[in-house]
Amino acid sequence: MALSTTVSQKKLIKRKAPRGFLKRVFKQRKPHLRLETNSDLLVHLNCLLFVHRLAEEARTNACENKCGVIKKEHVLAAAKVILKKSRG
Amino acid sequence: SIARVGLNVAAGRRRSEAATEGELLKRLGRLAAEAMADSYSRDSEPTTRTLLRRVLDTADPRTPRRPRSARTEYVRALPQHKSNLRDVQRALLQTPSSRRLRSQTKTTARRCSNRARSVDRLARVQASGHLEEQTPRTLLKNILLTAPESSILMPESVVKPVLAPQVVQASRRESSRGSLELQLPELEPPTTLAPGLLALGRRKQRLRLSVFQQGVDLGLPPSQEPHGNADASSLTSSLNLTFATPLQTQSVKRPGLARRPPTRRAVDVGTFLQDLRDTSLALAPPDESLRTPVATLPTDTVLEDTQPFSQPLVGRSPSVHHSLPCCSHSGAKDVERAASRRTWSSGLGLQNNSAGKAAQLLAGNVEEVDALAMGFPNISSNIFGEDGVEPLQNGVGEEAEERMEESLREVEKAAEAQGSARAEELEGHIEVTKAEGSWGAVEAKEPEGSSGDGDTSGRIASPELASSTPEFLRARRLQFLEPAPPPSSAVLPSEPPEPLSARLPPKPRIPGSRPRQDPYKTGLNHYAKLFNFYAKMPMEKKAVEMVEKCLDKYFQHLCDDLEVFAAHAGRKTVRPEDLELLMRRQGLVSDQVSLHVLVERHLPLEYRQQLIPCAFSGNTVFPAQ
Repeated sequence: MALSTTVSQKKLIKRKAPRGFLKRVFKQRKPHLRLETNSDLLVHLNCLLFVHRLAEEARTNACENKCGVIKKEHVLAAAKVILKKSRG
Repeated sequence: SIARVGLNVAAGRRRSEAATEGELLKRLGRLAAEAMADSYSRDSEPTTRTLLRRVLDTADPRTPRRPRSARTEYVRALPQHKSNLRDVQRALLQTPSSRRLRSQTKTTARRCSNRARSVDRLARVQASGHLEEQTPRTLLKNILLTAPESSILMPESVVKPVLAPQVVQASRRESSRGSLELQLPELEPPTTLAPGLLALGRRKQRLRLSVFQQGVDLGLPPSQEPHGNADASSLTSSLNLTFATPLQTQSVKRPGLARRPPTRRAVDVGTFLQDLRDTSLALAPPDESLRTPVATLPTDTVLEDTQPFSQPLVGRSPSVHHSLPCCSHSGAKDVERAASRRTWSSGLGLQNNSAGKAAQLLAGNVEEVDALAMGFPNISSNIFGEDGVEPLQNGVGEEAEERMEESLREVEKAAEAQGSARAEELEGHIEVTKAEGSWGAVEAKEPEGSSGDGDTSGRIASPELASSTPEFLRARRLQFLEPAPPPSSAVLPSEPPEPLSARLPPKPRIPGSRPRQDPYKTGLNHYAKLFNFYAKMPMEKKAVEMVEKCLDKYFQHLCDDLEVFAAHAGRKTVRPEDLELLMRRQGLVSDQVSLHVLVERHLPLEYRQQLIPCAFSGNTVFPAQ
């Protein structure tokens, strides 16, 4: 018997995906398109990975500048690189 | 406890009997060996009964608790007699030993072997120790007397009440114990202490509760209770119905729902606010009440106190919130009146504007201006808010509008007079307190007003510095009545456009569109926090904002790509396949790293269950493919 689509075991999920937010954003930008249920989660996964890469790059930049704090410039430089990579 | 005592007594009795038997037997052997021999010779096999009879006939009170002595004597007696008696004595020895099986089988054997050459003297001394009846009472007494006195003895004062109940309740006790207890008072106090202690020591666990209760009753500390009361309490637990729990719970009384008495300032605020309303309505100057509260208003009291208004001001935030719509309201009116205001007020319900009313409003505003000038930015904003509330309540929007304009202007003046920082604070505060949207217009007026009204500022600055006198207010109001309207109107129109345009490009939105920014921002903030987490390094606030911008761009790219992919597949719905393709193109998914691997790594279990098909029982796969 297939499981239900609801969360099993425990109702509390750490690091929930903001599914409503993602759906709303997509709807606002592309109202003529529809987003499927599970692809919502994959979008969230994509965002996570993007942020992850961005953070790694920013940290690398900050460490190269021998800075203990991530600054705006580091983030900016990192974003340039990663956004180019994530163009698809 | 009584039952247990009885059992103990019985056991003791048995033991004592055994001991006495042994002692008697040994005595028998020692004293009347020949007689015994004769008798035993008659009886081929001396049974226990015969021995007992012999013992009883020749009963000699001995301490029951001298097994060793009995043994020693008994053993000692063995070698003294002839071999024909040996069997008898062995039988005799065996009988007490058999009786002692309960207690000390091994020890008896050992003792017999050891004490074969034991000391006569010791046995004799021990035997002659206590010449009392062989009763449990005596047994106990021996125990008590011989047991070491513990250091936890109570003082005699405690013992005496112990003794008293003991004596009183002795009658009720069982025979054995009762006799013992009766004896206790006869003995000296230290001995009573010892018996009490010892008895309690044996029955500590059982008697503790009753002892405790009695001790509590007697007002003794619990540590001392067991000492004297154990016996009495154990036996009289049923009797002592006075073990009452200390009624101290009543003493602890709840403080109750004590309400804080209203502070003295509250009255001032209330009167002040009422006066404001009065002044706004009637434009008559009952200012005295206004001035004093205005002068003395600290921010908190103004903010906190909810005074008897027609519409109650619940507190700071509500008043501020009220003020905000009022401000916007008034701001809108201002715009209309000036006719050169921005269109942001279009959303607000504007009311009629008239020059006469404007004058009144200005006059009314003077108060607030002064108040604001004198007070802190908080106060000013609050009063400002309250003013706004009142006009709302009264339905006279223009007044509030004017007032607020004036107040804003004056606030700005004050800020200028005292430093730009204050203005910024004020503005900032007002901005903070106000909601987005129409507030901006009102705030924008502040700088305009500040720059414009020279004479008003001059006049207001002096009272601000002088810190508030209602007379000033009144005077100013009267003064401002005439000159205020024209300069204000002149100033205001000139000012608003520039700062508004400069400062509030995103602000002029209809209130309906307000939710658009917030959830979007919160969503981005969610991912920005993840960025902070992934980076594992401290970040600046500006860096976080930068991240949010990047995310925004990223989302744009994402949506475009998904649209393209879905269109490529001839669909209008974005499906997971599109996402996989996107990730493949991004380089996240490769031949080595599959999507499922990424899902497993980064998503929680619940999402993984939904994404990755898994086989379940019944030959089903979830999610279905």
